[in-house]
Amino acid sequence: MSVNYIPRRFTVVRDKELCINCGCCVRQCSNECHFFGDDGKTVFSDSNSCVACHRCVDLCPTGALRIEKYVCDYRENANWTPQYQQEICRQAETGGVLLSGMGTPKPYPVYWDKILLNASQVTNPSIDPLREPMEIRTVLGRKPEKLTVEKKGKSTVDMPPQVMLETPIMFSAMSFGSISLNAQKSLAMAAKELGTLFNVGEGGLHPDLKPYTDRAIVQVASGRFGVHSDYLNNSRFVEIKIGQGAKPGIGGHLPGEKVSVEVSNARMIPEGSDAISPAPHHDIYSIEDFRQLIWAIKQATGNSKPVSVKIAAVHNAAAIVSGCARAGADIIAIDGFRGGTGAAPARIRDNVGIPIELALAAADQRLRDEGIRSRISLVAAGSFRCSADIVKAIALGADACYCASAPLIAMGCHMCQTCNTGKCNWGIATQRPELTKRLNPDIMYKRVVNLINAWNHEIKEIMGGMGINSVDSLRGNRLMLRGIGLSEKELEILGIKHAGE
Amino acid sequence: MKKVYAIEELCLNCRLCEVYCKTAHSRSKDVVKANKYEDPAPVSRVTVYGDNFLSAALNCRHCDDPRCVKACITGAMTKDKKTGIVYVNEDKCIGCMTCLAVCPYGCIKTGKTAVKCDLCRNEGEPACVKNCPNHALVYTDKGGESK
Amino acid sequence: MKYIVIGGSAAGLACAEQIRREDKTGEITVFTKESIMPYSRPSISYYLKGTVKESDMLLRRNSYYGAEDIKIITAAQVKAIDRKNKCVKAGRKSYPYDKLCICTGSKPFVPPVKNAAGKVNAFTFLDLENAKQIKAKAGKNTRAVVIGAGLIGMKAAEGLSKICKSVDVVELAPRVLPSILDEKSAKSVKKFLETEGHISFHLEQTVAEAKSKGDVITSVVLSSGKELPCDLLILAVGVRPESGLAEKAGLEVNRGIIIDPATMRTSDENIYAAGDCTVSVDMLDGSRKVIALWPNAVNQGIAAGSQMAGGGKTVAGSYSVNAIDFYGLRICTCGLINAKGSRYTDKIINSGGSYKRLIFEGNKLVGYVLINSSENAGIYTSLIETGADISALPGDIYGTPGPFVFAKAERDIRMKGALAL
Repeated sequence: MSVNYIPRRFTVVRDKELCINCGCCVRQCSNECHFFGDDGKTVFSDSNSCVACHRCVDLCPTGALRIEKYVCDYRENANWTPQYQQEICRQAETGGVLLSGMGTPKPYPVYWDKILLNASQVTNPSIDPLREPMEIRTVLGRKPEKLTVEKKGKSTVDMPPQVMLETPIMFSAMSFGSISLNAQKSLAMAAKELGTLFNVGEGGLHPDLKPYTDRAIVQVASGRFGVHSDYLNNSRFVEIKIGQGAKPGIGGHLPGEKVSVEVSNARMIPEGSDAISPAPHHDIYSIEDFRQLIWAIKQATGNSKPVSVKIAAVHNAAAIVSGCARAGADIIAIDGFRGGTGAAPARIRDNVGIPIELALAAADQRLRDEGIRSRISLVAAGSFRCSADIVKAIALGADACYCASAPLIAMGCHMCQTCNTGKCNWGIATQRPELTKRLNPDIMYKRVVNLINAWNHEIKEIMGGMGINSVDSLRGNRLMLRGIGLSEKELEILGIKHAGE
Repeated sequence: MKKVYAIEELCLNCRLCEVYCKTAHSRSKDVVKANKYEDPAPVSRVTVYGDNFLSAALNCRHCDDPRCVKACITGAMTKDKKTGIVYVNEDKCIGCMTCLAVCPYGCIKTGKTAVKCDLCRNEGEPACVKNCPNHALVYTDKGGESK
Repeated sequence: MKYIVIGGSAAGLACAEQIRREDKTGEITVFTKESIMPYSRPSISYYLKGTVKESDMLLRRNSYYGAEDIKIITAAQVKAIDRKNKCVKAGRKSYPYDKLCICTGSKPFVPPVKNAAGKVNAFTFLDLENAKQIKAKAGKNTRAVVIGAGLIGMKAAEGLSKICKSVDVVELAPRVLPSILDEKSAKSVKKFLETEGHISFHLEQTVAEAKSKGDVITSVVLSSGKELPCDLLILAVGVRPESGLAEKAGLEVNRGIIIDPATMRTSDENIYAAGDCTVSVDMLDGSRKVIALWPNAVNQGIAAGSQMAGGGKTVAGSYSVNAIDFYGLRICTCGLINAKGSRYTDKIINSGGSYKRLIFEGNKLVGYVLINSSENAGIYTSLIETGADISALPGDIYGTPGPFVFAKAERDIRMKGALAL
């Protein structure tokens, strides 16, 4: 096509005075933005394919590179924004759905930013977490309705299977296929060191992850990839994936070219074949079917593990959560619509689902109202950007949080949102061996550990300020939250008061 | 002794080791000046071979019984008894490059004289190792050569 | 134990050092006929042109010999070896030995040039003394004539071209540097030397006669009849093994001293010989020849020293390897570069200012000539030495050889630096 209807998005600016023509950028850019001139020595850049992943910028030894937004004004139009026009042009060219990666970039309200936290003053003392014990251990799984003890003080209650986490932060599901094995391995190593769990997603379990299976959550999704008895039993717990926040109601599609030998082995499908996860589970057409699947998994694992259900936050999320709890789920993960993805139709990602804050608050409230809150643990997912988001989620009722984008950013992700192209320059969302080797798990797991440890410190600091010394005392403690700039209805759903009240 | 070892599975072919080796062995010690303006241009003692799919950075192995030292016709190439580092005395070297012709690993470079890795003069971690973004170069005394 | 080493250059020094490595207490005496401590003879042309100082030519610091307890006797011409009484005679004294190593090196071959003998401005070019004398005579207006376009002659010509008005080189052979270059590369190198060094060549010529005024040569007449003005005549036709001492002592000599190719032992079990004065067996074609090159001398010296001290080091095999530069043109050669016959094939890679010729015998690399393309030449050398099967190598060997020439297993060994050579 000789005419390009879409202006490029970025300009690569090369400071010729600083550039030493070392060619590092040339060799590092999988989008082939940088190239040697005819003399084989001087480096030039072609900005057209730049996705602003910053690989070249970050590795340039002299700081000679800068990525700028390419500014090309359209006639102002509040309705027909440049983005819509460009998307139309892309579709006019390809005739396909628009694909994108990571969470929605649209400016929907982020309620975390409209919720403020409390702190102790005078009447109740705050706690210094450096001097006094501060408990952030979290236990997931069904809790007994009540505790009975015999005369000597020993519990007479049969404890359902539970999972102990050293932090309320877990790593959300990312399959081998959507991310590289090195990325998955980094998360597994980090989970082991942090005493938390990582989630292998629906891509099966690669043999290299065997040493970390006591830290693994394994998924049973609609494609049933890699599911067999060993898979279910080599895990800390099993999660049935019903939906994903970034693409509620639709399935997944891993194109055949990404199904390498390794991926095909882990997924138990032929090499090079498309891995299609159907939109529904074809064996679940009622809550009764669903109950059977949960029961079957519990049987398959000898009733030794809790079973989790992951759903996308949709309009009637609270009712669905209640249904899942009654169907026998021990843990329910709710994935908000800002959650990430390796690839999703942009239209779905940007328009379907509801924010995690509202879904979480509604579900927690509903379960309490129905008197079944202790039957299940709630895990919130869908974009936690910092420790304060985690604290707010716990105060809204979450037992733990699933994080994925944040650890990926710790591993080099720059949110260029082109995961779906499989050319991730940081070796995360790609299966190309020359790119995946850029992610050295020995380096990256430490960065992830550092990040979560930093957040743990901050969570303790914030809790100490509130005069709370355990995450259990924070859970569902909505008195610690106040809304700012929120409507009556929003406050009502969130179950919090407005600031100043 | 501690030497630099390359792990080809981790090498990115970014060749930053070469850039920082030149810088460490330049007069200015400034990455831009060293790689762009200095005359004579500093020569990298480490070289990355291969392509993006398979590559590795190779530099002097500081052999126990170095052929370059034995072949040196001027006595410029010596192995330090204490540190084990094989050095070129650039005042004595006449640049005949006999050392290059006998080094079985291909670790001697041609500058005005013979140029080779000096492990950054034993002052801690060499520049190539320090600046490798993927830890594909390690500085260790557990290299595992058969002694 | 008393060890005596005759000769203090490459082989002699390597021999003495190896003895010390294996025998911490033995008495080691090195005789050198020169008046300074062991120095780099190949550096004399650099001394001549003024790029190397005399002090930088010393192979070891003077304090080194004391620390290693190696006694160096300078200006000591050994006159005879008394095998019956196991002693050597130098000056008026006699020195007893238990083990002796002869490392007397080469002597210049002086061509019979009429009227040249005994003239004050005619020199050979082999040691520092020669270089000093030449340097004293050479000046801005000096017109120098060098007889011989071999390694020594050309290094002399290069050195002189920097300090003299003109340099003429007369060579009997039809090409320059015949011992290290093949015909094709010799042609381009000659051209380079003419333009870069302003050296005039007179190939396939000899100097028939020198004309003189008193005992000073003023011009030379070539075999063609051409007369060249000459203020300085360098006789550098070639070298011969300095085997006179061994021959007089009754050791087996055929041009060079005959030695066991592995242990360096001569026909006397207590006497060894190493370096340019010996006859080596070229491992690549089995021929007996004098390999008058530094690395070979050092290897032989080490083997001889080890054997003398009761150790087990030997020379696995000798071959030629040489590197030299002229005005920045780097020439690196190894093995059978002038191999003739249908057994040998070659491949030439010419690009820009560089020339690379690899010589094969079947699937084995047996030689190379590299001109301005000597990057990682040592990898080729190792292939020649080990007789590796080239066809089994996965990588390209015609470009710059690197670790990826080799398959993973060998590459791992090489990357570790653990080759057993």
